[in-house]
Amino acid sequence: MAALDKPAAPRSGANTVIGSSIVIDGEISGDEDLIIEGTVKGKIALRQSLFVEGSGVIEADIETANVEVSGQVTGNIAATDKVELKADCKVVGDIRAPRILIADGAAFKGNVDMEVGARGPSPRGK
Amino acid sequence: MATANGSTVIGESILINGNLQGDEDLTVRGRVEGTVTLTRTLVVEPTGVVKAEVQVKNCIIAGVVIGNVTATESVEITKEGRMVGDIGAPRVIIVDGASFKGRVDMGDVDVSAAERGERPAARTLPRPSARPALGSARPARAAAPKEEAPADASAAPRPPAPPPSLGMGALKRKVVVKRK
Repeated sequence: MAALDKPAAPRSGANTVIGSSIVIDGEISGDEDLIIEGTVKGKIALRQSLFVEGSGVIEADIETANVEVSGQVTGNIAATDKVELKADCKVVGDIRAPRILIADGAAFKGNVDMEVGARGPSPRGK
Repeated sequence: MATANGSTVIGESILINGNLQGDEDLTVRGRVEGTVTLTRTLVVEPTGVVKAEVQVKNCIIAGVVIGNVTATESVEITKEGRMVGDIGAPRVIIVDGASFKGRVDMGDVDVSAAERGERPAARTLPRPSARPALGSARPARAAAPKEEAPADASAAPRPPAPPPSLGMGALKRKVVVKRK
Protein backbone atom coordinates (compact mmCIF):
# COMPACT_ATOMS: atom_id res chain seq x y z
CA MET A 1 0.00 0.00 0.00
CA ALA A 2 1.44 3.30 -1.03
CA ALA A 3 0.25 5.21 1.99
CA LEU A 4 2.00 2.88 4.34
CA ASP A 5 5.17 4.75 5.02
CA LYS A 6 3.96 8.18 4.22
CA PRO A 7 5.08 10.59 6.94
CA ALA A 8 2.43 12.61 8.62
CA ALA A 9 2.05 15.55 6.30
CA PRO A 10 1.15 18.92 7.73
CA ARG A 11 -2.58 19.38 7.39
CA SER A 12 -3.04 22.88 6.27
CA GLY A 13 -6.79 22.66 6.62
CA ALA A 14 -6.72 22.04 10.31
CA ASN A 15 -6.40 24.98 12.60
CA THR A 16 -6.65 23.23 15.89
CA VAL A 17 -3.53 21.58 17.18
CA ILE A 18 -3.02 20.10 20.60
CA GLY A 19 0.73 20.30 21.04
CA SER A 20 2.93 17.57 22.36
CA SER A 21 3.32 18.92 25.88
CA ILE A 22 -0.39 19.52 26.37
CA VAL A 23 -2.52 17.31 28.55
CA ILE A 24 -6.27 17.70 28.37
CA ASP A 25 -8.52 15.91 30.79
CA GLY A 26 -12.10 16.39 29.73
CA GLU A 27 -14.18 16.74 26.65
CA ILE A 28 -13.30 18.17 23.29
CA SER A 29 -16.01 18.87 20.81
CA GLY A 30 -16.09 20.88 17.65
CA ASP A 31 -16.71 21.28 14.01
CA GLU A 32 -13.25 21.31 12.51
CA ASP A 33 -10.24 19.11 12.05
CA LEU A 34 -8.22 18.39 15.12
CA ILE A 35 -4.59 17.35 15.31
CA ILE A 36 -3.43 15.82 18.53
CA GLU A 37 0.24 15.60 19.34
CA GLY A 38 -0.26 15.62 23.08
CA THR A 39 -2.43 13.73 25.54
CA VAL A 40 -6.19 13.78 25.76
CA LYS A 41 -8.24 11.90 28.31
CA GLY A 42 -11.99 11.91 28.36
CA LYS A 43 -14.02 12.26 25.22
CA ILE A 44 -13.60 13.65 21.75
CA ALA A 45 -16.58 14.47 19.57
CA LEU A 46 -15.96 16.09 16.20
CA ARG A 47 -17.84 16.46 12.99
CA GLN A 48 -14.62 16.48 11.02
CA SER A 49 -11.35 14.62 11.06
CA LEU A 50 -9.18 13.67 13.97
CA PHE A 51 -5.47 13.10 13.46
CA VAL A 52 -3.59 11.41 16.25
CA GLU A 53 0.05 12.02 15.48
CA GLY A 54 2.90 9.80 16.51
CA SER A 55 3.41 11.59 19.81
CA GLY A 56 -0.30 11.71 20.51
CA VAL A 57 -1.84 9.70 23.31
CA ILE A 58 -5.60 9.40 23.59
CA GLU A 59 -7.45 7.78 26.42
CA ALA A 60 -10.89 8.66 25.31
CA ASP A 61 -13.92 7.62 23.41
CA ILE A 62 -13.83 9.17 19.99
CA GLU A 63 -16.75 10.15 17.85
CA THR A 64 -15.88 11.80 14.56
CA ALA A 65 -16.24 11.58 10.82
CA ASN A 66 -12.66 10.48 10.12
CA VAL A 67 -9.91 9.26 12.35
CA GLU A 68 -6.31 8.79 11.39
CA VAL A 69 -4.18 7.25 14.09
CA SER A 70 -0.40 7.26 14.10
CA GLY A 71 -0.07 7.41 17.87
CA GLN A 72 -1.77 5.65 20.74
CA VAL A 73 -5.48 5.38 21.35
CA THR A 74 -7.15 3.64 24.23
CA GLY A 75 -10.90 3.82 23.92
CA ASN A 76 -13.68 3.19 21.52
CA ILE A 77 -13.69 4.86 18.15
CA ALA A 78 -16.88 5.56 16.27
CA ALA A 79 -16.52 7.24 12.91
CA THR A 80 -19.21 8.05 10.40
CA ASP A 81 -16.81 7.75 7.52
CA LYS A 82 -13.43 6.15 8.01
CA VAL A 83 -10.92 4.97 10.57
CA GLU A 84 -7.35 4.55 9.50
CA LEU A 85 -4.78 2.89 11.70
CA LYS A 86 -1.36 3.75 10.39
CA ALA A 87 1.80 1.77 10.83
CA ASP A 88 3.30 2.10 14.31
CA CYS A 89 0.05 3.12 15.92
CA LYS A 90 -1.25 1.38 19.00
CA VAL A 91 -4.97 1.12 19.43
CA VAL A 92 -6.92 -0.68 22.12
CA GLY A 93 -10.68 -0.45 21.88
CA ASP A 94 -13.58 -1.11 19.61
CA ILE A 95 -13.85 0.53 16.24
CA ARG A 96 -17.08 1.23 14.44
CA ALA A 97 -17.01 2.78 11.01
CA PRO A 98 -18.16 2.00 7.49
CA ARG A 99 -14.53 1.96 6.35
CA ILE A 100 -11.70 0.73 8.47
CA LEU A 101 -8.11 0.56 7.27
CA ILE A 102 -5.42 -1.15 9.27
CA ALA A 103 -1.94 -0.76 7.92
CA ASP A 104 0.85 -3.25 8.21
CA GLY A 105 2.69 -2.56 11.44
CA ALA A 106 -0.29 -1.24 13.32
CA ALA A 107 -0.98 -2.71 16.73
CA PHE A 108 -4.65 -3.11 17.43
CA LYS A 109 -6.73 -4.95 19.96
CA GLY A 110 -10.48 -4.75 19.94
CA ASN A 111 -13.57 -5.34 17.92
CA VAL A 112 -14.15 -4.06 14.46
CA ASP A 113 -17.63 -3.21 13.33
CA MET A 114 -18.14 -2.00 9.78
CA GLU A 115 -21.86 -1.95 10.00
CA VAL A 116 -23.06 0.98 7.95
CA GLY A 117 -24.90 3.62 9.89
CA ALA A 118 -23.19 2.80 13.15
CA ARG A 119 -22.77 5.97 15.08
CA GLY A 120 -21.87 6.86 18.60
CA PRO A 121 -19.65 4.92 20.96
CA SER A 122 -20.90 1.42 21.50
CA PRO A 123 -22.98 1.18 24.65
CA ARG A 124 -21.64 -2.29 25.26
CA GLY A 125 -18.40 -0.90 26.50
CA LYS A 126 -20.02 0.94 29.37
CA MET B 1 -2.51 30.75 10.26
CA ALA B 2 0.51 28.58 10.17
CA THR B 3 1.32 26.99 13.46
CA ALA B 4 4.87 26.31 14.41
CA ASN B 5 5.58 22.87 15.64
CA GLY B 6 4.98 22.53 19.32
CA SER B 7 2.43 25.26 19.63
CA THR B 8 -1.14 24.58 20.41
CA VAL B 9 -4.13 26.24 18.84
CA ILE B 10 -7.73 25.71 19.77
CA GLY B 11 -9.73 26.53 16.68
CA GLU B 12 -12.87 28.58 16.53
CA SER B 13 -15.38 25.77 16.50
CA ILE B 14 -13.68 23.72 19.17
CA LEU B 15 -15.00 23.40 22.69
CA ILE B 16 -12.84 21.88 25.38
CA ASN B 17 -14.46 21.10 28.66
CA GLY B 18 -12.15 19.92 31.39
CA ASN B 19 -8.61 20.35 32.52
CA LEU B 20 -5.91 21.48 30.19
CA GLN B 21 -2.27 21.64 31.13
CA GLY B 22 0.97 21.91 29.28
CA ASP B 23 4.40 23.37 28.78
CA GLU B 24 3.90 25.32 25.60
CA ASP B 25 2.10 28.37 24.33
CA LEU B 26 -1.61 28.02 23.85
CA THR B 27 -3.73 30.09 21.53
CA VAL B 28 -7.46 29.92 22.06
CA ARG B 29 -9.80 30.88 19.26
CA GLY B 30 -12.60 28.64 20.40
CA ARG B 31 -13.94 27.85 23.85
CA VAL B 32 -12.19 26.35 26.81
CA GLU B 33 -14.03 25.62 30.02
CA GLY B 34 -12.57 24.16 33.18
CA THR B 35 -9.00 24.78 34.16
CA VAL B 36 -5.99 25.86 32.15
CA THR B 37 -2.53 25.34 33.59
CA LEU B 38 0.46 26.27 31.49
CA THR B 39 4.09 27.01 32.14
CA ARG B 40 4.03 29.38 29.21
CA THR B 41 1.78 31.90 27.54
CA LEU B 42 -1.94 31.75 27.05
CA VAL B 43 -3.29 33.92 24.26
CA VAL B 44 -7.02 34.36 24.06
CA GLU B 45 -7.77 35.70 20.63
CA PRO B 46 -10.79 37.90 19.87
CA THR B 47 -12.91 34.89 18.97
CA GLY B 48 -11.76 32.94 21.99
CA VAL B 49 -13.78 32.36 25.13
CA VAL B 50 -12.16 30.95 28.24
CA LYS B 51 -14.32 30.13 31.21
CA ALA B 52 -11.74 28.67 33.44
CA GLU B 53 -9.40 28.96 36.33
CA VAL B 54 -6.23 29.96 34.53
CA GLN B 55 -2.73 29.49 35.83
CA VAL B 56 -0.04 30.49 33.39
CA LYS B 57 3.19 32.38 33.06
CA ASN B 58 1.83 35.07 30.76
CA CYS B 59 -1.70 35.72 29.67
CA ILE B 60 -2.80 37.95 26.82
CA ILE B 61 -6.50 38.50 26.64
CA ALA B 62 -7.99 39.78 23.41
CA GLY B 63 -11.14 37.73 23.74
CA VAL B 64 -13.33 36.83 26.66
CA VAL B 65 -12.11 35.38 29.92
CA ILE B 66 -14.44 34.50 32.73
CA GLY B 67 -12.61 33.18 35.74
CA ASN B 68 -9.59 33.91 37.79
CA VAL B 69 -6.26 34.32 36.11
CA THR B 70 -3.05 33.76 38.00
CA ALA B 71 0.14 34.48 36.13
CA THR B 72 3.68 34.22 37.36
CA GLU B 73 4.75 37.02 35.04
CA SER B 74 2.09 39.16 33.45
CA VAL B 75 -1.50 39.51 32.44
CA GLU B 76 -2.45 41.84 29.64
CA ILE B 77 -5.96 42.73 28.62
CA THR B 78 -5.92 44.26 25.18
CA LYS B 79 -8.40 46.75 23.84
CA GLU B 80 -10.61 43.97 22.52
CA GLY B 81 -10.34 41.98 25.70
CA ARG B 82 -13.14 41.42 28.14
CA MET B 83 -12.66 39.76 31.44
CA VAL B 84 -14.61 39.00 34.58
CA GLY B 85 -12.61 37.55 37.41
CA ASP B 86 -9.65 38.19 39.60
CA ILE B 87 -6.13 38.70 38.36
CA GLY B 88 -3.08 37.77 40.32
CA ALA B 89 0.19 38.64 38.65
CA PRO B 90 3.23 40.79 39.33
CA ARG B 91 2.51 42.77 36.19
CA VAL B 92 -0.96 43.58 35.03
CA ILE B 93 -1.58 45.63 31.90
CA ILE B 94 -5.05 46.84 31.12
CA VAL B 95 -5.16 49.03 28.07
CA ASP B 96 -7.70 51.63 27.08
CA GLY B 97 -10.78 49.96 25.65
CA ALA B 98 -10.47 46.79 27.63
CA SER B 99 -13.31 45.83 29.90
CA PHE B 100 -12.62 44.16 33.17
CA LYS B 101 -14.45 43.43 36.36
CA GLY B 102 -12.66 41.87 39.24
CA ARG B 103 -9.81 42.28 41.61
CA VAL B 104 -6.21 42.86 40.80
CA ASP B 105 -3.51 41.60 43.06
CA MET B 106 0.03 42.37 42.03
CA GLY B 107 1.58 41.25 45.27
CA ASP B 108 0.36 37.74 45.49
CA VAL B 109 2.84 36.02 43.26
CA ASP B 110 6.10 34.50 44.39
CA VAL B 111 5.85 35.99 47.80
CA SER B 112 8.65 34.94 50.04
CA ALA B 113 10.16 36.47 53.11
CA ALA B 114 13.42 37.07 51.31
CA GLU B 115 11.77 39.08 48.56
CA ARG B 116 9.56 41.06 50.86
CA GLY B 117 12.26 43.50 51.84
CA GLU B 118 13.13 44.51 48.34
CA ARG B 119 9.68 44.53 46.86
CA PRO B 120 8.66 48.14 47.67
CA ALA B 121 11.78 49.42 46.03
CA ALA B 122 11.23 47.25 43.03
CA ARG B 123 7.69 48.44 42.63
CA THR B 124 8.60 52.08 42.37
CA LEU B 125 10.85 51.37 39.46
CA PRO B 126 9.43 51.65 36.01
CA ARG B 127 8.13 48.37 34.78
CA PRO B 128 10.46 46.36 32.66
CA SER B 129 9.43 46.42 29.10
CA ALA B 130 10.35 42.83 28.51
CA ARG B 131 6.80 41.74 28.17
CA PRO B 132 5.92 38.76 26.03
CA ALA B 133 5.99 39.73 22.42
CA LEU B 134 2.58 40.67 21.18
CA GLY B 135 3.77 41.84 17.83
CA SER B 136 3.36 45.53 18.39
CA ALA B 137 4.31 46.53 21.87
CA ARG B 138 2.28 49.37 23.23
CA PRO B 139 4.28 52.54 22.66
CA ALA B 140 3.07 54.50 25.66
CA ARG B 141 4.68 52.59 28.43
CA ALA B 142 4.70 55.59 30.73
CA ALA B 143 0.93 55.69 30.69
CA ALA B 144 0.56 52.15 31.92
CA PRO B 145 0.32 52.83 35.65
CA LYS B 146 -2.34 55.43 35.02
CA GLU B 147 -4.32 53.01 32.94
CA GLU B 148 -4.37 50.52 35.71
CA ALA B 149 -5.84 52.86 38.25
CA PRO B 150 -9.27 53.28 36.65
CA ALA B 151 -9.44 49.57 36.14
CA ASP B 152 -9.07 49.12 39.83
CA ALA B 153 -11.65 51.74 40.46
CA SER B 154 -14.10 49.72 38.43
CA ALA B 155 -13.09 46.73 40.41
CA ALA B 156 -13.53 48.46 43.70
CA PRO B 157 -17.34 48.50 43.90
CA ARG B 158 -17.32 44.75 43.75
CA PRO B 159 -18.30 43.82 47.28
CA PRO B 160 -16.78 40.44 47.99
CA ALA B 161 -13.22 41.60 48.18
CA PRO B 162 -12.00 40.19 51.45
CA PRO B 163 -9.32 42.04 53.36
CA PRO B 164 -6.19 41.48 51.35
CA SER B 165 -3.97 39.05 53.05
CA LEU B 166 -0.85 40.88 52.09
CA GLY B 167 -1.22 44.61 51.92
CA MET B 168 1.84 45.66 50.05
CA GLY B 169 2.33 47.58 46.89
CA ALA B 170 1.08 51.02 46.08
CA LEU B 171 -1.71 49.81 43.85
CA LYS B 172 -3.35 47.78 46.54
CA ARG B 173 -3.47 50.71 48.87
CA LYS B 174 -5.17 52.74 46.20
CA VAL B 175 -7.91 50.19 45.91
CA VAL B 176 -8.55 50.21 49.62
CA VAL B 177 -8.86 53.97 49.71
CA LYS B 178 -11.38 54.01 46.91
CA ARG B 179 -13.52 51.42 48.60
CA LYS B 180 -13.94 53.67 51.58
